[in-house]
Amino acid sequence: MAAPTGTDASLAAKPDETSSQSTTSPNSSPSARKLPPPESRESLLLRRLSILSFWVLVLFVGLPIWLKTTAIYRAELPLQEMTDWAEGKVCKPVFPLRIAVEAPVSIPDAHHLLRTTQHALDDINDFSAHHLRLMLADSPLQSNASQQVITDGTGIMSNDRDVALAIRLIPVETGTTPRSHLQPYTPMLDVYYSPNQIPSQSSTGSTLATFLAQELHNIFAEEQAQLVHLLSASSGAHAAKIKALSPETSAELQRQSTRVLKYAPTYHLTFSLFTPSYAPSAWDIETALQSYMSPLLDAFSAISNFTVDTQVQLYATFAPSIHQPEYDEEKKTWILHKEDLSGFVNAAEWPLSPSIGEGPTVNFILYVPDRTQSPLLIKENAGNSWLIPQWGGVHILNLQGEPDTPSALTADMLAPAMHTFSNQLISLFGLPQSPASLPLRLSTLERVRAASLIFSASSTLGALAQVYQKLPSIPVPDNVAQSTHRTIAHLQQACDFLRDGRFPSALEHARSAEVEAEKAFFERSMVGQVYFPDEHKVAVYLPLLGPIAVPLIMAALKELKSVFKRG
Amino acid sequence: MLSSLFFLLVNAWLVGAAASADYHERLLLRPLPQDTLLASFNFRSNESAAAFEQQNFGYFPRSFGQILQHAHAKELHLRFSVGRWDAENWGQRPWSGGREGGTGVELWAWLEADTEDEAFARWLKLTNALSGLFCASINFIDATKTIRPVMAFAPEGQHSNASRLHLLHGTLPHEVVCTENLTPFLKLLPCKGKAGISSLLSGHKLFDASFQTMAIDVRPTCEEGSATCALEMEQTVDMVLDLARAKRPKDDPIPRPLPIDQLECDTSKPYNAHDSCYPLNKGTQPAWTLEEVFGRPLKGACPLTGQTGDEADNLCINIPPERTVEVKTSGEVSESRLVADTLRCYKLPTGADVDLVLPEQKMATDLVRPKPGVFAARSINGHGQERGSIQAVISNPSTTEAVEIVYLESLPWFMKPYLHTLRARLDTTAESPIKETYYSPAVDRKRGTHLELRLRIPPASTLTLTYDFDKAILRYTEYPPDANRGFDVAPAVIRVLSPQARDHRGIYVRTTSLLLPLPTPDFSMPYNVIILTSTVMALGFGNIFNLLVRRFVAVDEVPITAAGGIKGRVLDKAYRLKALVLGG
Repeated sequence: MAAPTGTDASLAAKPDETSSQSTTSPNSSPSARKLPPPESRESLLLRRLSILSFWVLVLFVGLPIWLKTTAIYRAELPLQEMTDWAEGKVCKPVFPLRIAVEAPVSIPDAHHLLRTTQHALDDINDFSAHHLRLMLADSPLQSNASQQVITDGTGIMSNDRDVALAIRLIPVETGTTPRSHLQPYTPMLDVYYSPNQIPSQSSTGSTLATFLAQELHNIFAEEQAQLVHLLSASSGAHAAKIKALSPETSAELQRQSTRVLKYAPTYHLTFSLFTPSYAPSAWDIETALQSYMSPLLDAFSAISNFTVDTQVQLYATFAPSIHQPEYDEEKKTWILHKEDLSGFVNAAEWPLSPSIGEGPTVNFILYVPDRTQSPLLIKENAGNSWLIPQWGGVHILNLQGEPDTPSALTADMLAPAMHTFSNQLISLFGLPQSPASLPLRLSTLERVRAASLIFSASSTLGALAQVYQKLPSIPVPDNVAQSTHRTIAHLQQACDFLRDGRFPSALEHARSAEVEAEKAFFERSMVGQVYFPDEHKVAVYLPLLGPIAVPLIMAALKELKSVFKRG
Repeated sequence: MLSSLFFLLVNAWLVGAAASADYHERLLLRPLPQDTLLASFNFRSNESAAAFEQQNFGYFPRSFGQILQHAHAKELHLRFSVGRWDAENWGQRPWSGGREGGTGVELWAWLEADTEDEAFARWLKLTNALSGLFCASINFIDATKTIRPVMAFAPEGQHSNASRLHLLHGTLPHEVVCTENLTPFLKLLPCKGKAGISSLLSGHKLFDASFQTMAIDVRPTCEEGSATCALEMEQTVDMVLDLARAKRPKDDPIPRPLPIDQLECDTSKPYNAHDSCYPLNKGTQPAWTLEEVFGRPLKGACPLTGQTGDEADNLCINIPPERTVEVKTSGEVSESRLVADTLRCYKLPTGADVDLVLPEQKMATDLVRPKPGVFAARSINGHGQERGSIQAVISNPSTTEAVEIVYLESLPWFMKPYLHTLRARLDTTAESPIKETYYSPAVDRKRGTHLELRLRIPPASTLTLTYDFDKAILRYTEYPPDANRGFDVAPAVIRVLSPQARDHRGIYVRTTSLLLPLPTPDFSMPYNVIILTSTVMALGFGNIFNLLVRRFVAVDEVPITAAGGIKGRVLDKAYRLKALVLGG
């Protein structure tokens, strides 16, 4: 069709030339064509008014209604507050630790000792957020009403839950003094001194005070390092004020923190026996757990609950992606390469599905190699166990001295594996290596966990605020806003409790804050609309918008043109 | 009749082999007419109740055990089935139908709970967890697909507090059972398909079978006279393979006609010539080997099974005594003949491949297969998109004994039966066969219809059960993507109450599932509505707008530019262009 019209046009051009020439000349003469009567001012005004009113109606009523009815609901979020939390502007975590001192001396002397020790302590401490505060305990011998009044404010009961450590000063006559002993199962430091080491009221320093300060600093050194690492890693605002850790310590702490399991109120421990053949097909795991695991789990029960389950899996083969074990002629062992350890657990075939119910699953795998591939060791260090960060641990049990793989493993055979597993559980739990007292280590864990939960909940809030701003097309339901407000409330409380030195309560609130923050961030209904962009909305309504817009615009243009012509 | 007795003995012997060891497995092969082969795999493992409570799992799979504990399921039955059992030709069903499920997925369980609501909440937990474990859409069993049967199922295990148990039953007739369901099924076995009879199971053959059903049954067993209880888990796979189809080589699976010189023709036919051939009916049993039929070798015994007595016989074949069977293996196999030589059982060696070779053989006698106690068929009648009717035909082939059955229907809510149209007619007497009725009507989008009937069919009679139903119109979003295919209706379950079952499994027959076509709308409708309304509104708007803002003048008063229109403007432009080019 295009070609004929083209020729038509060119053919038509000739007669038209004459016609247009002829039309231009008659056009100048008014007699040939009648002009419409000039429009009255009123009708002109009326017309312009009606066009204007159409436009006003469309712009100020139609469009808003259309936008409103097709808009997605976005609840209001306290964006500024959320960003402030994420940037660490609201809460600067501090850790004032209360240390109760029981001194069997007169009150003024004790106060003096405390003061001097506190001075010495403050001199050593270079991390201001972590602050040890000595307090005089009301020792059972001295406690009566009158002294309660005197020591008001600084007096504290040594069995209070919020006391991090109690120091018991014990006067002795023999042995080197001062010396100390940290009790392994209670948060109690026994310090032995000879009575003449108590500083007199007039003196400004004493060996006992210096000793106490140094001892306390050592006990909390690892905790301080962990907190410094945590603060510097998670918030830029603090980093400047904190002294830098040595690169080695920092790397070690980094390594520790990456393998630590995320905090949960319940953990499921799964002990699995894997073997590439059909033997051993049974193990006395019940007895082994009873004697090697239960004491440890009881100690942890203050922080989390545990469920334990076990399984036996036969015919478990390696994944084809790793190198099969090779025989080392020199050492007479079968070796695994270090780089293959990550693929040792055949996730596709070994049934290691997480346990049902809330909380993460920690897997401990006991692998008994086939008789033909025993002993099986790691090439680099001839070790037989390793830890998989945030997941669990593996122990290869090489049964030496047995003529044939036994069909059942006794509790004694399982002992080395159980020791490995308990060490691995401690590492996975993030328990610090020192000090020697288990309750102290657990309370350290409490503080570190509380701080890290506060940071992680805050950064989740920050991420949510960013998502809210960057993706204007996602809907935000009301419960996200509610969760956000709850998170902020819990965070504030956690921060306040930290400042007051009430760490268990702080951990409790930090935990709730983390849960709420995750709930807000992972709200399912927020993702659905991402795939329904605004263009789609316009496309659906185009059959209405197009036919209405064209006459409106054309009329407006025409009127504007005529206005300009006259004006 | 004698052979029939043998057969019954075979069944009794197989069932009676009580497991004393913790793990037990057996494969029974039985050639069926029309060159088919029934392979019945049975795996059974026990876990003591104490170890189960403490979550110390041995042969009982941990993932499955935890699901049971989480949902407080005391007894569970799960079925994955494809195909139809041809009762006319193949006779009685394996395990008398006690390990069979309706097409798709069927699940029923006894859950411990104080209230019905709690039981249902646990049921939802159970279906969701099982769905993840077996890669099936079991989580789609919601309230509309769940019923609480009254007579059709009885617990198989011994339960201590039966009053707190709730039976729930759900079906998914639409589910396509395939390899992804077999893999987790095999992983639950202690030998995992690496050794023992499970090494024969492969998805390619199993889901190519004419009929197959996979079953998992968990029940508590308490030994009589002792307080120790155990949890028994039984996994069963029954499949009927077409021998000719199964023997197709792996590298050339497309069936092609043989070259004419390799065909065996019936030369007695008058039209037999060099280019026409009528296949010769030799009347022989076809030749087959285990490896050919299952596509992989049998890798010896699973060493966890008992090594003595009945327990050790892991592979049994039920054939006439004169049929030759050659055992090919590098290990040691001991054969024992049982039940008047019609059942040959083999003790498999550990760690050596085993193959059974059966040559082509002309048989003088064949085993007599017992007839099933009940035949059943069900169909949808009627036409149109509004209503239809269901017809179920159940017949009792026995000439002497009456049978008593429970007929269970679980219908989707969008199929609305009229109970007053329910008719049950016997062809021999005018007496009503319905003894008891349990009916719970459907509630739209909340609950399906549940109908249970206790029926009695006199000897050599056929019962015809009919009822009418209405088809509902669904909401726009309730239609599946393939709405025009139709909606599946779960098979009817028929439990035979008398004659009584010989074992705890019971006698069951299931009909095939039905396809119900529902009225389906045009799915582009919403967009069409938007476009149509928009156009009408735009038309109205355009008219009113033009009437209001246009100026009306006489025809001869119209200005030139307007009269010229587009054509005028185009011509004007062309003229100017020409003037520009020529005039310069």
